Amino acid sequence: MPPIRDKFIIHSKAVVCQDVDLKGDITIGPGTVVHPKAIIYAIGGPIVIGSNNIIEEGATIVNRRKEVMRIGDENLFEIGSRVESPSVGDQNTVSTKARVHHTVRIGSHCSIGPKCFINTSEDIKLDDFTVLYGPNWEERLWSGRGQKQAEDLSTKHVEYLKEWLPKFNRLRRGEMP
Amino acid sequence: MSATIKYYCSCLSNTVVPPAPHLPSSSHSFHTLPELYFCEECDAVRCNECVSIEVSGYYCPNCLFEVPSASVRAEKNRCARNCFFCPQCFNTLAVVPSDPPDGTSFHQANSMGEPPFLLYCNNCRWDSAEAGITFEKSTGLAQQLQKHEDSAPDSLEFERLKDFFEPLLRASSSNTQHAPGTSSHSTHTNPITAAASSALARDIPGVSKYHPPPPRSRQKSKHGSKDDMPTYRSRVEIGGINGYGAGGEKDADLFSRLEHPSQVSTLAQKWTGSWSVSPLSRDLKPIRIPLHSRLTKRCPSCRHILIKPEQKAQSVRFKIKLVAANYLPAIEVHLPQPTASTRRVPGARTTQDADQSNSSRSSLLPGKSYPFRLGLKNPLYDPIQVRLVVQRQPLPAVPSAGEASTEKSRRPPFAISLPSTAFSIAPYAEAWEYEDEDDLDGLDDDDGLSPVKAAKGRSKTVGVLEKKANTTIVGGEIVIAKDGRGDAKFNMLVSYTYRSDEPPVDEMIGSKRATDLVKTNPETKTFTFYTVVDLGTIIPKEDARTASPDAY
Repeated sequence: MPPIRDKFIIHSKAVVCQDVDLKGDITIGPGTVVHPKAIIYAIGGPIVIGSNNIIEEGATIVNRRKEVMRIGDENLFEIGSRVESPSVGDQNTVSTKARVHHTVRIGSHCSIGPKCFINTSEDIKLDDFTVLYGPNWEERLWSGRGQKQAEDLSTKHVEYLKEWLPKFNRLRRGEMP
Repeated sequence: MSATIKYYCSCLSNTVVPPAPHLPSSSHSFHTLPELYFCEECDAVRCNECVSIEVSGYYCPNCLFEVPSASVRAEKNRCARNCFFCPQCFNTLAVVPSDPPDGTSFHQANSMGEPPFLLYCNNCRWDSAEAGITFEKSTGLAQQLQKHEDSAPDSLEFERLKDFFEPLLRASSSNTQHAPGTSSHSTHTNPITAAASSALARDIPGVSKYHPPPPRSRQKSKHGSKDDMPTYRSRVEIGGINGYGAGGEKDADLFSRLEHPSQVSTLAQKWTGSWSVSPLSRDLKPIRIPLHSRLTKRCPSCRHILIKPEQKAQSVRFKIKLVAANYLPAIEVHLPQPTASTRRVPGARTTQDADQSNSSRSSLLPGKSYPFRLGLKNPLYDPIQVRLVVQRQPLPAVPSAGEASTEKSRRPPFAISLPSTAFSIAPYAEAWEYEDEDDLDGLDDDDGLSPVKAAKGRSKTVGVLEKKANTTIVGGEIVIAKDGRGDAKFNMLVSYTYRSDEPPVDEMIGSKRATDLVKTNPETKTFTFYTVVDLGTIIPKEDARTASPDAY
């Protein structure tokens, strides 16, 4: 395996803390907030993260595949979650300690509950509005009611973090190391 | 931790000596220390099974509203405000407004949000609109639902049942007034029990029918009053609101068209409903949160209050709290498991196998001896002197002449050695008072010199091993017989002597030693209690051999 070449492109309006662990070819879009101690490894192919995402402490995003791993907009990766899926849509929530295997593509408006673990042998795609919850990873479809409120909350969340994180953390800029 | 210790409460037997630990019934007499109370008046340990309990208040666990006991019944023991469980995942539901029409941002809309309001689950994203429930106002949701609930067939049926049984109940109460004592004790004349037994015998879909044992003919001829009760016929046939759930043709038809397992409601989801619930998960309704109660606990013999919570539901304090942990030394047992490197005897694989079957318990091998440690922590502000005595395994009082011979042939499965002399435990002090650790150690050495020496003389494992602050760790040893089997469980008598302000009363079980102490020093007092120590399971030799054939 060839050595991984680091190449970080961080949008000027993104908030990426100094103490994050980045490896490989990573692009971070505007408004995305990456908390300290988050881990993003582009081992196989590059990772492209869209706008207004939140990646919390200890969240791990890994691309093991050759293709580009695309993460859409307004996703929330909570503390200790681990996502290796080749593509993630928009407005998804991956809750605390949830794990998504590299065979699972995530649609949009999905919610993966705390400690849920999706692991399949063949490639699958989570439909839009899929909700996984509970200790047995039960699956149901969200009606979509309250979607506006969810969007609104996510916008406020990003705004708040963009204001307050830089006051207590050094930020990383998108320079080439 | 694999080894456990439990404390004895003598409420279930007449004697102060606990039952033999290998009897299955003995487990009801032993409790963990945090579960126990201590009555100062009686100078005795009390457990949850013997205290008398009074309800001191009801509250909703979600909104912490204190419900007056008068309205608890009317509200059917459930919160009458905005508290609901999600029918899918049992999370608490939140009240949310519906989304504003497209185009307007949420900020521009009314701050209270737009009606209709929904109940929304943040965990599984269920919302009440899926079950066809919406609200016009965001407050008093239970009242808004009340109309639906009151007209639902199950609550109508319940009202009818109450009406049906009321004359019978009234008749029975007047009966018992006429002839108190005699008829109320009979199971057959009491309509309440009759109603309960007929309710038990009713057909519940999905549950095999319960057949009550045939009543004895003698009783039947004596009290024929069960026949006086007319048979109750339900107004509607059993079956959900839409006719599903009764186990008939309709259900079979429904299940043949199922596409996804999530469409069916699980047993856990249906369990809370008293009426047969629809088998479809989309029909499930939000559940009003059941109320909790705060309890006052009293000593059964002297009626003194042991536990009294504060009235406010928000408060986590107690007005009165007499827990045993404040009076009895807390004991921890630790059985160091032989690690793979030090003991690679037959155990290595056996332990693993046993762990799989008997997950948390440690396993012991016959013919071996294991050291174990007891850590005793003093909760009192005075130093105490502790003596540990192992209760003889076959109770000395019990064996009769016939049993004695079999007793001889069957040796006890294990032997326990514990330090036989009394040892001291330093008083409890606040953390900041432990600064000069060296002084404390010196003091302790003077106190407990003899046990330490004695222990060194005999072996390194048995005796006082360590003294630190208000904790003393003593070592013991268990020697397991070659043909030992069963659980390595033994009763241990703990007696401790402390300085008392009250005049000494030796009403306690008082071993000989204890009474001696009382005589020599009138200031001191001795308290004795029994514990059961469970060190793990002995793996019978045959099992050990089959489990690890390569070791032999």
